[in-house]
Amino acid sequence: MRALSPRAWPMAFKVPLFVALLMAGLALVIGQVVLHRLSRDQERHLAELASAYLDGVSTAVLPAAIRRDVWEAFEALDRARDRYRGIAIVVAIVTEPSGTVLAASAPRLFPVGSVLPEPLLARFPDGDRLVIDAAAERGFIARELREGEIAVGRILVELDIAALIAERAEVRLALVAVNAAIAVLLAAAGFWLVRRMLAPLSILRAHVAAGEDGAMTPVPEVVIARQPPEFAALFRAFNRTARALAEREAMAARLAEEEKYALLGKLASGLAHEVNNPLGGLFTAVDTLSRHGADPEVRQRTLALLRRGLADIRTVVRASLVTAKERPGQGALRPEDIDDLRLLVRHEAERKGIRLIWRNDLAGELALDRTMVRQVVLNLLLNAVAASPEGSTVSLAAQIVDGSLRVTVADSGGGLPPWARHVLAHPEEGPPTGGGLGLWTAARLARALGGRILVEAAPGGSRLGLAAPIAGEPALAA
Amino acid sequence: MRRRDVSRRAVVTALPMVVLGGRAAAREPLRLGLTPVFLDSDLALLRALEAYLGRATGFAPELVKRRTYQEITALLLAGRLDAAWICGYPFVEHADRLALVAVPLHRGSPLYRSYLIVPADSGAERLEDLRGTTHAFSDPASNSGYLVTRHRLLLDGERPETFFARSFFTFGHRNVIRAVAAGLADGGSVDGYVWEVMARREPAIAGATRVLEASEWFGFPPIAALAAQRRSPAVEALARALVAMPQDPLGREILAVLDLDGFVPGEPILYAGIAAMRERLRAEG
Repeated sequence: MRALSPRAWPMAFKVPLFVALLMAGLALVIGQVVLHRLSRDQERHLAELASAYLDGVSTAVLPAAIRRDVWEAFEALDRARDRYRGIAIVVAIVTEPSGTVLAASAPRLFPVGSVLPEPLLARFPDGDRLVIDAAAERGFIARELREGEIAVGRILVELDIAALIAERAEVRLALVAVNAAIAVLLAAAGFWLVRRMLAPLSILRAHVAAGEDGAMTPVPEVVIARQPPEFAALFRAFNRTARALAEREAMAARLAEEEKYALLGKLASGLAHEVNNPLGGLFTAVDTLSRHGADPEVRQRTLALLRRGLADIRTVVRASLVTAKERPGQGALRPEDIDDLRLLVRHEAERKGIRLIWRNDLAGELALDRTMVRQVVLNLLLNAVAASPEGSTVSLAAQIVDGSLRVTVADSGGGLPPWARHVLAHPEEGPPTGGGLGLWTAARLARALGGRILVEAAPGGSRLGLAAPIAGEPALAA
Repeated sequence: MRRRDVSRRAVVTALPMVVLGGRAAAREPLRLGLTPVFLDSDLALLRALEAYLGRATGFAPELVKRRTYQEITALLLAGRLDAAWICGYPFVEHADRLALVAVPLHRGSPLYRSYLIVPADSGAERLEDLRGTTHAFSDPASNSGYLVTRHRLLLDGERPETFFARSFFTFGHRNVIRAVAAGLADGGSVDGYVWEVMARREPAIAGATRVLEASEWFGFPPIAALAAQRRSPAVEALARALVAMPQDPLGREILAVLDLDGFVPGEPILYAGIAAMRERLRAEG
């Protein structure tokens, strides 16, 4: 439907069509003027010829009409028949004052002494006016025959104007043919011209379209040099924009990479701490074993201690391995994936004496990319821990709300600054300068999950939450 | 073909006259009146006739034409013409003052007839069928073109004015044929000789008509002169030239066009039939 709308038509079609329509309109107007002038000139010319004919014939017929001489009148009409060029007489009739026919050039149709039929008589105007009946291709003119003041008869002439009508038709046909040819030529020229003028646009479109799959490539300078100045300027502006975009993309990628390393650093430090914690106990257990290993009860207890400590280390290592190695798209989200994060932030929290309140209501697998969800939540947790004062609490709540995963992290950090809100609302504007990279990463990933970061004010702090729709679950309108 | 021959010959033979122009003024004129009893509309023929007469008579011929018979007759009677080719009717009308100069021979005899003609597609079969129609006459002073038909109607107790719805004169036999051919008239009275010549020379016109009735034979329209001038040198020269026409090449050409065999001196008795008709009509008033 939209393709049929004139707005959707290509310029290369619209412009020639407009030109052709304009020409057709112009041709119509000119044609009307020409035909009107032609008809008027033809009729004037014919009227002059008819008048000249009547001048000649009436001079010859007048004496015959006065004498009511049938033969003289007939002969005058007969002689005049072929004498006047450019005028085709259908019939010429001389009538007497009584209205009866004195003589006619076609005596069999209008016999001497007969009365002309009223419909025919009515077609002849008074005076020397020529009346044209274009449909019947006939002209009618009549003249009174007078001797002084006395009417002695009337000459009625019916003319064949088929030649005139044919000429008009020929002129009309010629006008239509010529104008149609001009319109088609102009339309073709318009089509060619517009195509030529719009050719740079297709080059630009190809370069812009390339940006959908990757970076936009600048238009080569060789190509630009061939374009008209307007398009050259446009292409150069495009190239500047493409370069700026590419630079920004590169910077964002670099920043994201750096953020990842920063995160890794933090994780590594947390990991070391988590591993170090049981290590003291493990060494003590090893000492105890070496000293009192003979005592089965002590050995039993110490080995259990050793196993627990090693299990703790294994859990921590496994959690960090998942975070560090996994790539997006490698599995559905499980409740443990959220719980693992607690281990990763525990060291940071404990360092500041922050108490973690953990509430995970998830059960079973969710059709969500676990790597991305974990990265978002980890970022939110680290941000909350960093923002909260020492000895305060940071709480996490994971649940399903209206078919969406909702993971909320509340802190006591005294609220979110305006720039941070802006970064969360508009991650597409690029990474912020001077901090907040974690929030920006979280917002970007939330978008990638089809969701967003919810920001709520909470007493004494703020509450940030990931809201991500679960594929396959009926999401209610939020 | 013949016409062209005549006109070319006419030009050739007329040349000496032009050359002798100075002396031509000194030559006595020969004034000959012509009426439409023959095809006087053929100008080439008239030139040839003038050329022949100029050479054969030694006079300077002057061919005089008028619209009606009456005008020529009046000129002749007034002595303004040496002779005139008139109809038998005016000849008998003025028989006391006129004398014959020569009478044409048509198909071997000095006689001709009057034809009653109608359009070729007319349904008329006899004169009675023309009652109440439009009729074309040649000339009120014409025997074949008026008198004969008037007399014919008289025998039936009719008069042209009442028998025909209307009638008109065309002042020429050729015009009568044209009027009937065009349908201007439903019938016409015409010189039979002229009709025959027309049928040969202008079949497109004469062919559009057909002969309804032919009259009895009458004396052919003669060349006449005032009786008082019949013996004048000009008239005598004319009479000789006419009779001698078949002996001259140009004369023969002219005769061929006219479909005549020649001219004979003739006798007034030839016109007794016309005179009788005239008498009867006069008696009826």
